[in-house]
Amino acid sequence: MWKQFSGTTLNFVSENTAPTTAIAANLNGFKELTGIDVNVLQLELGALVQKVALDIGSGEGAYQIVYADPYQIMAPYHEALADLGEFDSDDDLPSIPKGTDDFIPTQLAAAGRFENEKNLYALPYDCPTMIWMYRKDLFDKYGDQMSQDLGFDPQPSPSLTWEQYYRIGNWFNENQDEVPYGTGHQARQYDSLMCDFSNILWAYGGDYFHSEEIGSLGTANPGPCTLDEPRALEAAEFYKKLLSIAHPGSVSWDWNATDEAFRTEQVAMVPNWHEFAAVDQDPAESTIVGKIGYSPLPKGPVRNANMWGGTGVGINGASPINEQKAAWLFLVWATSPDTMLMGLKSDVGGGTPTRGSLYELPEVKKAMEPPTNLPNLLTYDAVSEAWRPENIGLRPKIQSWNECDTAIYTEVSKMLAGQKTPEQAMKTAKKYFDEAQARVENLASRPTRVA
Amino acid sequence: MTTSTTGRNTGKQVILYAILILVLLWTLVPIVWMVLASFKPGVAQLSSTPVFVFKPTMQHYVALFTGGNLGAYFLNSVLAAGFSTVIAVALGCLAGYGLARSHFRGKQHVAFWIISTRMAPIAAIVLPLFILFRYVNLLDTIPGLIVAYLTFNLPFAIWIMNAFFMDLPPSLEEAAMVDGATRFQAFYRVALPLVTPGIVTTAILCLVFSWNDYAFAATFAGPDSQTLPIAAAQLNTQTGLNWGQLSAIGTIVVLPMMIVGLAVRRYLVKGLTLGAVTGE
Amino acid sequence: MAATQGRSSSATKGANGGGGFSLEMKMLIPVLALLAVLSLFPFFYIIWMSLNIVSLINGISFDFAGLANWTRMFTDEIVGAAWARAALYFVATVGLEMILGIAIALLVHELVWGQNLVLSLILLPMFMAPVIVGLLGRFLTDSSYGLYAFVLRELGIFESDILGTASSALPAVILMDVWEWTPLIVLIVLAGLASVNQYVIEAAKVDGAGYLERLRYIVAPSIAGVVIVALLVRSMDAIRYFDIITVTTNGGPGNTTKIIPIRLYETAFRFFDLGYAAAIGLGMLVFSILVANVFVRILESRGLAR
Repeated sequence: MWKQFSGTTLNFVSENTAPTTAIAANLNGFKELTGIDVNVLQLELGALVQKVALDIGSGEGAYQIVYADPYQIMAPYHEALADLGEFDSDDDLPSIPKGTDDFIPTQLAAAGRFENEKNLYALPYDCPTMIWMYRKDLFDKYGDQMSQDLGFDPQPSPSLTWEQYYRIGNWFNENQDEVPYGTGHQARQYDSLMCDFSNILWAYGGDYFHSEEIGSLGTANPGPCTLDEPRALEAAEFYKKLLSIAHPGSVSWDWNATDEAFRTEQVAMVPNWHEFAAVDQDPAESTIVGKIGYSPLPKGPVRNANMWGGTGVGINGASPINEQKAAWLFLVWATSPDTMLMGLKSDVGGGTPTRGSLYELPEVKKAMEPPTNLPNLLTYDAVSEAWRPENIGLRPKIQSWNECDTAIYTEVSKMLAGQKTPEQAMKTAKKYFDEAQARVENLASRPTRVA
Repeated sequence: MTTSTTGRNTGKQVILYAILILVLLWTLVPIVWMVLASFKPGVAQLSSTPVFVFKPTMQHYVALFTGGNLGAYFLNSVLAAGFSTVIAVALGCLAGYGLARSHFRGKQHVAFWIISTRMAPIAAIVLPLFILFRYVNLLDTIPGLIVAYLTFNLPFAIWIMNAFFMDLPPSLEEAAMVDGATRFQAFYRVALPLVTPGIVTTAILCLVFSWNDYAFAATFAGPDSQTLPIAAAQLNTQTGLNWGQLSAIGTIVVLPMMIVGLAVRRYLVKGLTLGAVTGE
Repeated sequence: MAATQGRSSSATKGANGGGGFSLEMKMLIPVLALLAVLSLFPFFYIIWMSLNIVSLINGISFDFAGLANWTRMFTDEIVGAAWARAALYFVATVGLEMILGIAIALLVHELVWGQNLVLSLILLPMFMAPVIVGLLGRFLTDSSYGLYAFVLRELGIFESDILGTASSALPAVILMDVWEWTPLIVLIVLAGLASVNQYVIEAAKVDGAGYLERLRYIVAPSIAGVVIVALLVRSMDAIRYFDIITVTTNGGPGNTTKIIPIRLYETAFRFFDLGYAAAIGLGMLVFSILVANVFVRILESRGLAR
């Protein structure tokens, strides 16, 4: 069954993330199993979205396997992705080992479906989540002094507030010189800024829209944008305050550059994707091996929120049907328990599994404490807490998200640059959100001729 | 240039050379830095104070050619730029000659139209070309890139060859025809050899512009047809921008064009100003 | 392509003569036909697109919308701001390139020794792919590892992140462009300086005219034409390329470097709002045609256009 497409070559276009790097380094396993060659193209997220959109829009289907970012690719283009349920139930093709129930439920919904439970567009592939990463050694060293000066125990935990995070960051700026700055952020005018800002927006009780399920299944009709509400404004004001004491490079950093700064000792703590743990613990790339602590992000006046950035892999509906079926083999392989375990162990990266069963394995459980050969698992306590439904941060899965994403990170960037007040930024963002969504809803409701 | 040996002139020369050093520093430091960086080991790249003394290594070049698929990108660049240039120059000679030697009403307008196509902003024409290519299945192919590059190479070639042909007095060709040559033979045997500098210049300029293209390749190329500039821009990895490999690719992309560009320096002015100014 | 080559080889049959096209026309017309396909077809297509709402999912679909895209464009403040910024970028880059280019050309012209070598070195940047110039610029201005960032920090001139700060991002990308294209101006102006009448210069020197006076009264009028050509040639390309910004700041921070080609690309290939993008594209085409017009008219007035 596995060798029926031997000799085919497939193209996998993906974001340049750790799990894909691990898979790319271990494709031999797949080749032996199926006889299929896979070319992996890794791109920056912005470039990836464009490439996929161009490929889908052109009807080429040159990339059969697609890293289907739920917000920027799956929501707007789900119609162009193949329905995986058909492959799964096809007797001539392998089905998902342990069935879809083995995937962590919130992740299956968010990464794999749109609007309803009918179709499955992607299999959960990775699950990076934003958590609080900090220099454990510095907190150990200065902890007592900080406690005295600040009036609370600064040990990072989800019960500390963002306001306290701010004060800790500031304390580092003023009271030591082992690292130039206390906190660093991925505040580049790019998707990363939206991610960083959203954590605080949600923690303060604000949101982009008030709509049930908008983060997990997504919706075609989210209602009006709610960025102009008082709680959103409060969040924006706090974010501006926080960035004013952060490392000045933050405004040009995406998540990669932020991690680079953290592991080369430019900042004491960062909110960043947990998958960076692997490279942070790699002595070839990092000077802070063994000195890192992990915690879920601080809480705001209303809740804890940790941005989830997971993705699924999907199949391009424009590719010839044979290639789609061959691509299905890859999907099953890439999300299988064995491959995910391999990814955990990989030297070159790898993420944490999206399958619940893997976390129960004894060798995996053992690796959650140092010393460990599976560094990403050191974050398990933090991320498993972050994945709980009340703590997970899910952004809107709506078809106009690309434009809305651009709008929010542009406006917040202007706010940080001092060109707009927080209130102006939020109001302008809301305006663009509503316009973009209105256009998409209009388009969907008009009868169109296909040329 | 007369030079006198009075004190004032020597003083002036000193000042001139002093300013010149500044200009050369401004111009050359980035290039030298990039080439140096391409040989610097990874650790030396990442230090926050610039490192000038280091042990040179070929690791980045090796990594590019083995792991990075660079050979394929290099080949794609050569094919797309090369063929587009050859076609543009060939057709440009024909049309340039035709334009130079013919007289008809509306010739001004035709000439204007030709040059205005060369001036179209890339961002604007990428869009309709994308749709066009989609329908004729030219996306993600080398021929597609060749055609895309023709959109600016062809008018450019026509205009420059036109300028070079205009410089030739028709009397030479007329003499040849009096001796029994056909019009085309007069073109082929007499006029064409005389504009060889123009042909070479046009070819090299077309080559440079195609080789250096990023916007077209980013939009039209797919997994089978990526070119070198795209490879350079895609070097953003999980661990940040790989400066070592980036400088190596940069050096590979830049060096050939510098060499060929300088080779035709004498004719560059005429070529780049579309014949409006004659070179030194 | 094959069809065109077929036609041009048939042009070798027979000479001119009464009736039919002359050889020159036979050489010209097929090539022009190819050019027409490459340029006119897209041109009319984009006009049609701008009058529709266009979608690419599941095949291209058009939804006639009349002037909706156009009215939207004229009231869109993001697009308006992008045009304003593009104008600023254009004036700054081309302006600086002209001034520095002329100055450096004058400098090189006066050199006694090594003119050839110096000119070759000065020309190097202009052969570099703009995208590489952008990436190199990013490398040099990187807060953590950049050579220039380091120097500026040590000298206390500038300590924040160069490409991430609103006030310095635009000047930085402008300077990268200036670095790349000033050599082009130098090359062209130098050619003009080389053809200034030497006898007149000598006579003026004998008459006691100083350098500045010679510059003002003899050299300047003499190279005025060349300078204008340089200006136009550079302008022609300045409105086409946007690679440097794409690869450094891509419009940020705070939209300070979002010039109109960037916004167009974003609208077309990130939002896939193709009809609207077509309208913006047409606006840019109209602008470039106006510039081309000026260019050709000036060449004509100097008797150089054919």
